[in-house]
Amino acid sequence: MPIKVNNLSYIYLPKTPNETKALNNVSLEIPNGQITAIVGHTGSGKSTLIQTFNQLIKPSSGFVNIDDKFVVESSKKKNKKIKDLRKYLSIVFQFPEYQLFEETVEKDVAYGLKNFGLKEPEAIIKAHEALKQVGINESFYLRSPFELSGGEKRRVAIAGIIVLDPQIIVLDEPTAGLDPEGSKTILDLILSLKKEGKTIILVTHDMNIVQSYCDNVVVLNKGELVFQGTPSELFSTDVSRFSIEIPPLYAFCQSLKQKGLNLDISKIQSIEDLMSQIKEKR
Amino acid sequence: MNNLTFGRYSPYDTFVHRLDPRTKILMMILLMVAIFLQIPTWSTTLILSGLVLLFLVIVMITSKIKIKDFFKSLSAMWIMIILLIIVYVFIPNPNYNPAHIVFKIGTYGVNYDAFYQGGYIILRLVLMVMLTMILTSTTKPMDLTYALEWYMTPLKLVKFPIHIVAMTLSIALRFIPTLLDETNRIIKAQASRGVDYNTMNPIKKIGSLLSLIIPLFVSAINRSEELSNAMEARGYDPYGKRTRYRKLSFRWIDLIAFIVVLAIFGGILTLRIMVACGYNVDLIYWIFGAKPLF
Ligand SMILES: Nc1ncnc2c1ncn2[C@@H]1O[C@H](COP(=O)(O)OP(=O)(O)OP(=O)(O)O)[C@@H](O)[C@H]1O
Ligand SMILES: [Mg+2]
Repeated sequence: MPIKVNNLSYIYLPKTPNETKALNNVSLEIPNGQITAIVGHTGSGKSTLIQTFNQLIKPSSGFVNIDDKFVVESSKKKNKKIKDLRKYLSIVFQFPEYQLFEETVEKDVAYGLKNFGLKEPEAIIKAHEALKQVGINESFYLRSPFELSGGEKRRVAIAGIIVLDPQIIVLDEPTAGLDPEGSKTILDLILSLKKEGKTIILVTHDMNIVQSYCDNVVVLNKGELVFQGTPSELFSTDVSRFSIEIPPLYAFCQSLKQKGLNLDISKIQSIEDLMSQIKEKR
Repeated sequence: MNNLTFGRYSPYDTFVHRLDPRTKILMMILLMVAIFLQIPTWSTTLILSGLVLLFLVIVMITSKIKIKDFFKSLSAMWIMIILLIIVYVFIPNPNYNPAHIVFKIGTYGVNYDAFYQGGYIILRLVLMVMLTMILTSTTKPMDLTYALEWYMTPLKLVKFPIHIVAMTLSIALRFIPTLLDETNRIIKAQASRGVDYNTMNPIKKIGSLLSLIIPLFVSAINRSEELSNAMEARGYDPYGKRTRYRKLSFRWIDLIAFIVVLAIFGGILTLRIMVACGYNVDLIYWIFGAKPLF
């Protein structure tokens, strides 16, 4: 278990009239080498939770244990390993295109590497590799990141994180505001990262993504953990109380099953899976 | 990061919060003038400033401003305070009484009066900071601009575009918290890329600040463009006549507060006028019948 969250609480602006309890005694575990989704209504504390993972914010109480290598806790004392932690577990924020600032695309991607002490020529070479991985064409390398389209910017920003080669990658709504094709590029990238053995944590509102791409799912509601398990376990319970909608594919399989077709819904992640199961039955 | 939020509006419901913003602005101006009226003899100055200080502290406590936040904002000023002291102590001033030399550095005599002058300026600065902090943390930015717009109404006669100025001002004020949130967001995103904003290495520091400032400007410019497009799309006309949802109104609590502040202002002004007319204004002398100390 790489990430153990233990009785974690976080309060924004404590002791002021705007005090918000964003996380309340959350305990959960996120397994290694898999894709875990964090879902929940807007304002349920998802972004807050992931920010504690690499100590961008310190918990008000409780702690997070990352792979038994790092511990993020509420104590005031300085964490000397914080830079290593941020290299081990990196976060791609919501709308990461806003963090671009260098003159050229390749320089921007290499920027993180330089912060971690790598020198220019090697950093640029690695940047090219990362850009290739996210599907950015060579002709873009020397252009200004501000001239790119929204989806291209997003991919460059993601390249800026995966170039650091973190073991755990956290993505906060990476597909928000992208067209279906742009979303697919990013989701395929996530799958290829999983194949490399990385642990992926994905914050999302899209249950189709949860069903088709994720191995585990964690549901937060008003700062509290309300569910942890596999996507099909989640959809087979009464999800309307978490204001989650069952994805159409799952609903479709469910009604097929009700009509007498013997399907193993937990194994169905895509239309292709469904078709092959139907073919087997014939 | 936290000292940037100094003076941010905090939504309590206290006496000062309920006052009309126009009253608050007028009272602030009166108190600022009172603070800057110079009255000879340091003992009198000290007593008067002390009274104003006491008054402001009481106002701060009743309007639930944390004294701790105030000290935090002062700590950002300490360099200025030290510079002021140095300037006052080491620049010779013929008005200083040569009898008040405390000690000598070489042939230069460090004068007691210099400390008094420097300290007095710092005291005034502190009082000014307190005043602005009280105003901004008890008044919504929007209400502040409404109040300013109201005070600018006479300028309409000379065709001054008060509505445009007020609108610009309120948009600017409205976006301060947004920009602060944005700053926080970018800091977190860049920290994930290994940027260390607490570094002491000056070259690295400049680099890390660039990684913050450029995205901040880009997003601010994008935002302003979006906002102006949205305003235009809704048919905003800066010269149009408009009514307002929330009307400002003076109430009896404004009168009470104003009378209290006017009394303080009037008292100090009276003393100042007496000085101008050649009276000896020394509170210690008046109260204790003792001789003026300096
Ligand atoms: N910087 C902040 N200051 C004060 N309160 C905050 C801050 N950031 C978040 N909150 C509050 O904390 C709660 C949880 O916010 P969080 O951003 O973690 O939600 P989220 O689950 O990521 O929502 P979304 O799906 O909209 O991104 C919300 O009620 C929010 O208003
Ligand atoms: Mg969020």
